[in-house]
Amino acid sequence: MIEINNLSFARGNSLIYKNINFSLSQGELLLIKGANGAGKTTLLSNILNFTDPLEGRINYNGSEIDNHIASQYFLYIGETNFAFDSLTLNQNIEYWLSIHNVKFDKSVKDKSVNFFFQDLNLDKKFYQLSFGQKKKLQLLLLMLVNKPIWILDDPFNGLDNKSIINVHSLLKKKLENKGIIILTSHQDVNLNNYKTLTLA
Amino acid sequence: MIKNFFKLISSEFQLMLKGSVFSFVLYCLLIISCAIFSLSLKYESIGMHAPLSFLYVMIFFISLFKVEKIYSMDFDEAKVHQYILSPFSLEIIVFVKNMMIYFNMIIFFFIFSPLILIILNIDLSYLFKINILLSLSLLSIIFIASMTASITISKNNRLSITSILTLPLFVPILIFSMAITDLIDFNAGKMYLFFVAYFLLNLAFSPLLTSFALKKLSV
Repeated sequence: MIEINNLSFARGNSLIYKNINFSLSQGELLLIKGANGAGKTTLLSNILNFTDPLEGRINYNGSEIDNHIASQYFLYIGETNFAFDSLTLNQNIEYWLSIHNVKFDKSVKDKSVNFFFQDLNLDKKFYQLSFGQKKKLQLLLLMLVNKPIWILDDPFNGLDNKSIINVHSLLKKKLENKGIIILTSHQDVNLNNYKTLTLA
Repeated sequence: MIKNFFKLISSEFQLMLKGSVFSFVLYCLLIISCAIFSLSLKYESIGMHAPLSFLYVMIFFISLFKVEKIYSMDFDEAKVHQYILSPFSLEIIVFVKNMMIYFNMIIFFFIFSPLILIILNIDLSYLFKINILLSLSLLSIIFIASMTASITISKNNRLSITSILTLPLFVPILIFSMAITDLIDFNAGKMYLFFVAYFLLNLAFSPLLTSFALKKLSV
């Protein structure tokens, strides 16, 4: 269970948000909405312990989130791409799986790649891919890295309709498996029950 | 975990190979600068100390360029996020990357060193000693340069001039390298130990400080 109590964050002299409170149990999704600059990505950074809040507490199962807890339980897919331009799609997948200490299983990898990319040549260099295809490589980690909490920053950005449906099916499956999802998006999520937090 | 660690090393090796073009360009620049240095002093009797010092200073600069380039590419914000959330500590990843940069630089030096020594008019009988000397001191140079680079590339650093604070750490290497050139004809075995000791010292705190700077200043 993730609990956030009275969370505030300031950058320099400007207060980004104040007194944010929410809690999420297993199988729940929180959609964070807000205008550009409202602090959606910053809030995710606070939750992941990348940045320290001004005040307030962020707990996971009663313990304050530190680097160890974050690396053990959280999977983060940010807005900007983390892959290496000089490596091929295949090499990038293998690199990031080794970074996340995932046991390499070719059949699982092939199934996941097929789910997102269909007939794409995996020997293509990363820089040769389109923006949407690059985004899908990031989202591929959702299928390959098994962590209970997903933190997603605008996961639908740049995706075509079919891929957005695919991401929704992944979110649905994760919630059915008692995972926790926190995501930011400017669009609504096509799921039945979820919490919403709107930042002013 | 061990298997994935070796996979990480092999992936970093692949990345290092892809970055070899930049190293090649840097070493070509080194050869050009050595040729200019040598030609400009062709009527002077300068012995081997001045060319060796020049070579050392140039290697120092191209190592800084290489480390800065690799760090600006491999430690952008999105990648640092993933590294922080990795079960491997950022210190380990920094160590592996530094070692790969080192191997890349030193392999190129081994290949180019005979040509460089000929251009600088240094007796080739010193080739082995100079290679050993440089391979030992380059370790420390790379690890200190990684600290400098991690501060320089940081986006949250209000005082990026603080990277200058790491520069005095290079001074002992350069001073001892020059001292060794005086002793190169003698059995200077114990002098080489300085580089090993200094590297071990750097190994103890450089990955820690580099990863601290990356975590605190780049995300």
